[in-house]
Amino acid sequence: MTLDPLLTVEGLTITLANGTEPLVSDLTFSIAAGETLALVGESGSGKSLTAQALLGLLPTGVFAPALGQATLSGIGGNLLVPDVAARVRGAHVAMIFQEPMSALNPVMTVGAQIAEVLEFHAPHLSPLGRQAAVAAALTEVQLDAERIAASYPHQLSGGQRQRAMIAMALVAQPKLLIADEPTTALDVTVQAEILQLLRTLQRRHAMAMLFITHDLDVVAQVADRVAVMQAGRIVEMGTVAEVTQAPKHPYTRRLWAAQPRHLPPRPKGCRQTGMSTSASPNEADTACAAVPSDASILDARNLRVYFPIQRGVLRRTVGYVKALDGVDLTIRRGEVVAVVGESGSGKSTLGRAVLGLQPLTAGTLSLFGTPMQNRPRHAWQPVRRRVQVVFQDPFASLNPKRRIGALITEPMAVHRIGVDDADRWQRAQAWVTALGLPAETLQRYPHEFSGGQRQRIAIAKALALEPELLVCDEITSALDVTLQAEILQRLAHLVVERGLSLLFITHNMAVVEYLADRVVVLYRGKVVESGETATVLNRPEHPYTQQLLTAAGFNR
Amino acid sequence: MKGDVTHNTLLRRIAGMGGAVRFALVWLGLLATVAAWAPLLANSLPLWVERADGRWAFPLFAQFTAEDVAWWVGWWSAVVLLRWRRISAARRLVIGLGVVALTWGIASALLKPSPLVVYDAWRQAERAGEVRHALWAPIPYSPKDYLRDYGVTALEPPLAAIPERWHWLGTDDQGGDVASRMIHASRIALSIGFIATGVALVIGVTIGAAMGYFAGWIDLIGMRLVEIFEAVPTLFLLLTFVAFFERSLPLMMVIIGLTAWPGYARYTRAEFLRLRGIEFVQGAIASGLPMRSVLFRHMLPNAVAPLAVAAAFGVASAILAEATLSFLGLGLVDEPSWGQMLNQAVKSAAFNWWLALFPGGAILMTVLAYNLLGEALRDALDPRLERNGR
Repeated sequence: MTLDPLLTVEGLTITLANGTEPLVSDLTFSIAAGETLALVGESGSGKSLTAQALLGLLPTGVFAPALGQATLSGIGGNLLVPDVAARVRGAHVAMIFQEPMSALNPVMTVGAQIAEVLEFHAPHLSPLGRQAAVAAALTEVQLDAERIAASYPHQLSGGQRQRAMIAMALVAQPKLLIADEPTTALDVTVQAEILQLLRTLQRRHAMAMLFITHDLDVVAQVADRVAVMQAGRIVEMGTVAEVTQAPKHPYTRRLWAAQPRHLPPRPKGCRQTGMSTSASPNEADTACAAVPSDASILDARNLRVYFPIQRGVLRRTVGYVKALDGVDLTIRRGEVVAVVGESGSGKSTLGRAVLGLQPLTAGTLSLFGTPMQNRPRHAWQPVRRRVQVVFQDPFASLNPKRRIGALITEPMAVHRIGVDDADRWQRAQAWVTALGLPAETLQRYPHEFSGGQRQRIAIAKALALEPELLVCDEITSALDVTLQAEILQRLAHLVVERGLSLLFITHNMAVVEYLADRVVVLYRGKVVESGETATVLNRPEHPYTQQLLTAAGFNR
Repeated sequence: MKGDVTHNTLLRRIAGMGGAVRFALVWLGLLATVAAWAPLLANSLPLWVERADGRWAFPLFAQFTAEDVAWWVGWWSAVVLLRWRRISAARRLVIGLGVVALTWGIASALLKPSPLVVYDAWRQAERAGEVRHALWAPIPYSPKDYLRDYGVTALEPPLAAIPERWHWLGTDDQGGDVASRMIHASRIALSIGFIATGVALVIGVTIGAAMGYFAGWIDLIGMRLVEIFEAVPTLFLLLTFVAFFERSLPLMMVIIGLTAWPGYARYTRAEFLRLRGIEFVQGAIASGLPMRSVLFRHMLPNAVAPLAVAAAFGVASAILAEATLSFLGLGLVDEPSWGQMLNQAVKSAAFNWWLALFPGGAILMTVLAYNLLGEALRDALDPRLERNGR
């Protein structure tokens, strides 16, 4: 590793065009050739703005021109000046974005898009030479060059798209690669492969890499040095070993402590036989029956959900997408069952089926001892209150046109919880305060809250119906790690205090380890492994489970 | 209250969008005011008279129709409701419509205006000295007062120097005062736009919501229905109907409404298809909320943005449809309408410019105003602007 810095940034400051508070203030760092600096921080810490500024991509009008100095060795001029950045972009500095689908042009083949980069940055190449360079770039990212070059982005999987993006970024052989959360939108197993690939390529080409992420697991896998950002400032910088093992700044320590595997173990062994009778969430229910109940509240046998594939004018069914293909699932009272799988494994469909939002193709589903499979809408009504749901995206799960109070109390009224509107309002208030939100939350509209606050509101809304089973569909994957820790801990307490059962859908094995009593691993609509959390995590039998654990950094 | 997204903030946001939109709002407000106060602005009957024997009479108010009362009450309730910000826009709209319908019902039961009005009766009486004092409307001619007591009065240009009479905008080929006819015709322009669009919205939203929410067979059948109705040419259907049946305003409104709904159905369907998969709707269903709440509380309010924009353009096109029909001479028989006045402009041997300029200008301004309003609504309802709007 050379000590000469390739990229030097001094005093980078970014301010809104009409604001005075800087969003990024006085950032100073450098990256040597062949080195990876990870920029870590939670949403709003200014890490993506830094990347945009270095590429001269800050929207003018919204932001004031960035202040400070950024130089690339061997290139004259300040990168923060848009004209200089435009000259350097693509040729010397390249970028990989988070969402590979929207970063690629959907109406051009992948090959044509990569060739276009060369047209600008290697004009001396002949068309045939360009073609060869494209093929070489695609081969280098371990893709079938011929086939992928002729494909359109929608014909590729997420992992293939991200590889194609990397090929496109590297084809002009840049000196600096900026990667903005390049693996966040990918499945964990794919994520591990992409990180490995980036690491290899970076070594081979002796590139400097600025790797932006919020995921601390990823940092350890990819970076040499880490810079931790909080509210637009670097609060701590050092080698990965220094920062992860002996964090100095309180914020870094808090960030590390919030990782699920660093959380204090959740209170367990206190499954209740019955629901708590107290209506108020504030009264901690200490009368906790120590005897675990074996009464299953959810019992699904051989669940099948097939989506027909229809073709032609007559809409003839030519085949089926088997979202769920014979899934068995049992949840007992007070138990937390995690459903794990990659995207498309059918885990969200399973959640929807349990909620009665997805008609079943076959199989039996019994909730609280009543068979529910394919019953009409009104037959579900008594069960609806007892099974509630919280979704992944906190921005889509609250109706933007209604006040929080109305959103929480309306279902309560439908299920006759509370004697009158005033009583319901009181209960709703108790729930939002129990989840650490201010009491005036009820008067407000969803858009006045941040993602983490909205997710807590969504949980309060679900809990206000005093459910016995809560379906949590990836509820923490859109949240920062400190918020995730807070929500996981609150849920863990609710499980103990109220005898709540959770069907916890996730792809994050660390969260599973923290929260779940049992794990069900779904792979292409089938259960490939299930059992007690500790058993599955320590002695995974199915290759997919092993892959999942390795990718998530469980080296056992 | 904090975070209150109401009609007023929307109205204020539209008004803040620049001169053109402000012009549109002012013009439409003026038009509504003129329409509501029409009988008091232009009437051959005096508001108040004191006869020679000292007795008082209120001839204008004695001839007030249920329609006049409803317009007037509607105007006042609009003024009050626009300032009343405590309740939601939708609720205020319902209250306003309810008040108008109620007054209309009560007024048509109570008011019995004489079917035969002698427009020149009080003019003659004043000339004969039977009236001591009289208070006249600013334009002392009713729209259907053809000034028979003055002899031939047809096609006088504006501000022609004629003793005893003064016509700001001239007279038409029957001898009626153009200014008065313009004022009274604004009611037709406004009501046909709103009611025809209202009918289209009710049908379109209902069918579109059903298509979007239930999908499957209902969607398939609904879309075929949409395609069939989209293929019906509104103007030719209107021509056919007025040729076979009576020439009535309600009939025109219903026909325009019946042919204009497919656009709204398409918008609603698309929005509902999108909303159906969104988590808060799924959550509402999973909470066991009744279907009417899911559809109308949780889905519809999130689907109004494209509908509001389309409706503003729809009002403009309904006004144009009526004007076209009247211009072709197939509009209402005796009632004043802007299109019919345009027809009179070209009917006689000479080109009567004042009969083309004023009604034509009014149609232009109104249609333009609605189009500007539609464009402003599209910007004002943009979710990104809405989020940063306050």
